[in-house]
Amino acid sequence: MDSLNSLIDGFGTALTPANLLWAALGVLLGTAIGVLPGIGPAMAVALLLPVTYGLDPTGAFIMFAGIYCGAMFGGSTTSILLNTPGESAAVVAAIEGNPMAKAGRGAQALAAAAIGHFAGGMIGTILLVVLAPTVASLAVGIGAPDYFAIMVLAFIAVTSVLGASRIRGLASLLIGLTIGLVGLDQMTGQQRLTFGSLQLADGVDVVIVAVGLFAIGEALWVAAHLRRTTGEAIPVGRPWLGRDDLRRTWKPWLRGPLIGFPFGAIPAGGAEIPTFLSYVTEKRLSKHRGQFGKGAIEGVAGPESAASASAAGTLVSMLTLGLPTTAVAAVMLAAFQQYGIQPGPLLFEREPELVWGLIASLFVGMVLLLTLNLPLAPVWAKLLRIPRPYLYAGILFFAAVGAYAVGGEALDLVVLLVIGLIGLGMRRYGLPVLPAVIGVILGPAAEQQLRRALQISDGGVTGLVNTPFSVTVYAIVVLILAWPLVYRPAVVRRRGGRKESDGTGTVSGG
Amino acid sequence: MTTEPTGPTGPAEPTGPTGPAEPTGRTGPAEPTGPTQEPAPKQDTTRSWLRDHSELGVCALLLAIGALVLTDALTMSVDIAQRGPIGPRTVPFVVGSALLLVAVLLAVDVLRGGRGEAEGGEDVDLDEPADWRTVLLLSGVFLAAAVLIGPLGFPIAGALLFWGSAYALGSRHHDRDPLIAAVLSLATYFLFDNLLGVPLPGGPLMGVI
Amino acid sequence: MRLRTPLALLGAALLVLVGPPLLATGDGSDTGTQIPGLRFMVPNTPGGGYDITARTMAKDAEDAGLTHDIEVFNLPGAGGTVGLSRLVGEHGNGKLALSMGLGVVGAVHTNKSPSTLADTTPIARLTEEPDIVVVGKDSPYRTIGELLAAWKKNPAAVPVGGGSSPGGPDHLAPMLMAQAAGIAPKAVNYVPFDGGGELLASVLGNKVGFGVSGLGEYRDQIEAGELRLLAVTGPKRVPGMDAPTLREAGLDTEFTNWRGIVAPPGLSDAERTKLTGLITELHASKEWKESMKKNGWDDAFLAGEPFGDFLAEQDRRVATVLKELGL
Repeated sequence: MDSLNSLIDGFGTALTPANLLWAALGVLLGTAIGVLPGIGPAMAVALLLPVTYGLDPTGAFIMFAGIYCGAMFGGSTTSILLNTPGESAAVVAAIEGNPMAKAGRGAQALAAAAIGHFAGGMIGTILLVVLAPTVASLAVGIGAPDYFAIMVLAFIAVTSVLGASRIRGLASLLIGLTIGLVGLDQMTGQQRLTFGSLQLADGVDVVIVAVGLFAIGEALWVAAHLRRTTGEAIPVGRPWLGRDDLRRTWKPWLRGPLIGFPFGAIPAGGAEIPTFLSYVTEKRLSKHRGQFGKGAIEGVAGPESAASASAAGTLVSMLTLGLPTTAVAAVMLAAFQQYGIQPGPLLFEREPELVWGLIASLFVGMVLLLTLNLPLAPVWAKLLRIPRPYLYAGILFFAAVGAYAVGGEALDLVVLLVIGLIGLGMRRYGLPVLPAVIGVILGPAAEQQLRRALQISDGGVTGLVNTPFSVTVYAIVVLILAWPLVYRPAVVRRRGGRKESDGTGTVSGG
Repeated sequence: MTTEPTGPTGPAEPTGPTGPAEPTGRTGPAEPTGPTQEPAPKQDTTRSWLRDHSELGVCALLLAIGALVLTDALTMSVDIAQRGPIGPRTVPFVVGSALLLVAVLLAVDVLRGGRGEAEGGEDVDLDEPADWRTVLLLSGVFLAAAVLIGPLGFPIAGALLFWGSAYALGSRHHDRDPLIAAVLSLATYFLFDNLLGVPLPGGPLMGVI
Repeated sequence: MRLRTPLALLGAALLVLVGPPLLATGDGSDTGTQIPGLRFMVPNTPGGGYDITARTMAKDAEDAGLTHDIEVFNLPGAGGTVGLSRLVGEHGNGKLALSMGLGVVGAVHTNKSPSTLADTTPIARLTEEPDIVVVGKDSPYRTIGELLAAWKKNPAAVPVGGGSSPGGPDHLAPMLMAQAAGIAPKAVNYVPFDGGGELLASVLGNKVGFGVSGLGEYRDQIEAGELRLLAVTGPKRVPGMDAPTLREAGLDTEFTNWRGIVAPPGLSDAERTKLTGLITELHASKEWKESMKKNGWDDAFLAGEPFGDFLAEQDRRVATVLKELGL
């Protein structure tokens, strides 16, 4: 009740005309910058931080909330339209979003993403208001063994995206794991597969891998088989979500936050794993499982909603503990400090007006984001009507800018091209691309948590199962593994090819 | 620089940079052709067998990567502040061995007649033979941009990347493509370097004018 | 028709060649402290320590009217050594400076970086911050003495959490402590975390024996009673914090994390004096003093040659510790 009153006061602050204007301006700027290649939300927020300097703290933070909402969404736009995710949280959106856009359903994909962001952000922020203190104290109890258990669960989930041929899916996963090995070993500082190059010491960023495999690989593959006979542009189709779309998306929108928010709130959660888990959940629950990989709208709605809720979850530990768990949160922390405000356990008592104003403006920002971007979705989608040579040249250009702009290293472009060529080869020989990206995300995280857990227990294997949480997760894993023995659903092919050479093509097990 | 529309390339349209379907098709047929169990032994049996089994190249690549990962793990110095049973080499060992195993399993699968399905898509026409020349051209343009971006600056390298890619993909509007590329590249440069403060190299004339 | 192609090519060539220099803003004269076009390179991601330092400096220099529009950009990678290499490559560039600190010194060694800080032109050290030894409020260790006793008895059973990877500040501090306590550095069970945030959760949840991190990040937690501060690693106590220094606790060592600014090699004397002058003026400004207070940074200003000697001394110290660990 207390927090409700404070929140209403917060809305009082956020809804003054001047502050509304700042919020709207922030959303616009944030989206515009977030769309740019290579500029993820953290970078966008850092770049726009000086814009807020001229304002009083409340106004600045309200504008800030707008920038934050906008920048988060901007990355998804390019992910869907051009197959070039601008940040790791938007990688999953490309998997279904881009095929939708290619099939002339770009507006629907963007709308599903926008509403997903809205729903995820709203629910996430509500959870933030209601649960912040509770979640924060619970989150602290989550340790390395628990994280590793979640990773095991995630690896089990990978099997559902391996595609028609398990062995080829596994090969793809291993390629991803290998890329994930590159860099300094985080636990000991030992160099692995860096070949002495400093530029490789931090490993290959998952965004580079995703852009390389998705965008460059796709562009090269299309170049090899460009449909030259039919010159017509991608159809734009109806601009709005149809009734059927809504029937398929409302549940994913609501389910996404349930996965995204807890991950955002725990210190090592992040957005990649929840978006991926949301994706496989939606795939499993969908009635249109066959469409996945070819533009299933559930695969956009769920992960986007999860990503947005995860961002809200990040604010829990950020505001209540002063813990920046993502780069964006770290930039926000810096912004707080610019105004002499130290987030932490005492923040809600010391600066109630500012905190609740900020939370209220998150709600306002979400509403503005939706009202600004929903009408824009069909306009954006028309971008794809430009002639194919320009479209794919533009994608290559865009991807190159993204890889080069931030680091300014020409080697990043070479890495991008090499990964793109791998992506081309994978498309040629039917290796699914998604497991590779998942491997890059999960591999390093799983290894680190495993080793950290074992190190804390000084080598004792019991260190992996010494928490109730981890035991519960392993129990779920066992249940999932045992399930097919009890109930075996008809194998739904992920990808229906035109000429099937089946039967011998699938080696089971492996 | 004055590229007249020469050779087999039609002025604007369909065929693109490739001459009409290179008969050799170096890397083999792009689409998984139907019944592959019997690779129709005609004139050049080995060659067509290889072409049908070009996926074995993937196995070779996986083997190579696996070997690389294992070698890297083996040559790692172990005199390190490592604690616990799992060190920096454990996971590379697992991944490397798994790569070798999968490579072998995949080879068995391919020899038994299994085929990876080439990926379809809206802009992809699998019934046409693969046009590897365009792919080479695109890769070359991209690589050139990576090399030139240092000495020539972003605007030039970026413009070359866009124009070259559009050319490789069959656009033949010589009067408009270079201008589009230049404007796009310059606008990007301006946006990043001037407005956002993300520095990009400006080119050879920076500081001269 | 035919004519349009060469014209288009010419136009395009002109655009990309002449455009960038014309767009470049050569504003401002370089009189007084003004250095037009000065850029700060940040060798880690936005939001990190070097980033905040650089952006604060840029803003304060602007507000104090010392120089206009210092451009801050990030070039993260390999603990800062990617940025360092770039800086060393910019030989003679008097309009570039690197925001750096002790972490970069360690990263040079762990990454086996070909460029070292000895290759740079030292400008100034600006701030410092002691590390702290903390445990969660439910921890069995109530004093630094109890902790040290348990640690000495069985180092493996007392995992140390730190917010930096091996070679970083939070890694060096416990290693120096171990040395002073007579524990072989290799016996120390150091568990690296991704920054202070993740570490804090593990300390609060008592997942690790104790945590070592910068004071600034945890000040609030300590005041709120969530964390128990056992010791500070600096040479003297921190006002308002009820904790002994390491020396008071019987460990003959001290450790302070610091941040500063270095410039590319090969600067002319005039350029070096100018840059050092700007930073010295900035240090004296009330804007900077205000910022230091806000961020909880301690003043540790040290400019020019003495800073160069300090860098060399730090490098030796770090190298000794890491060598014992086999890094």
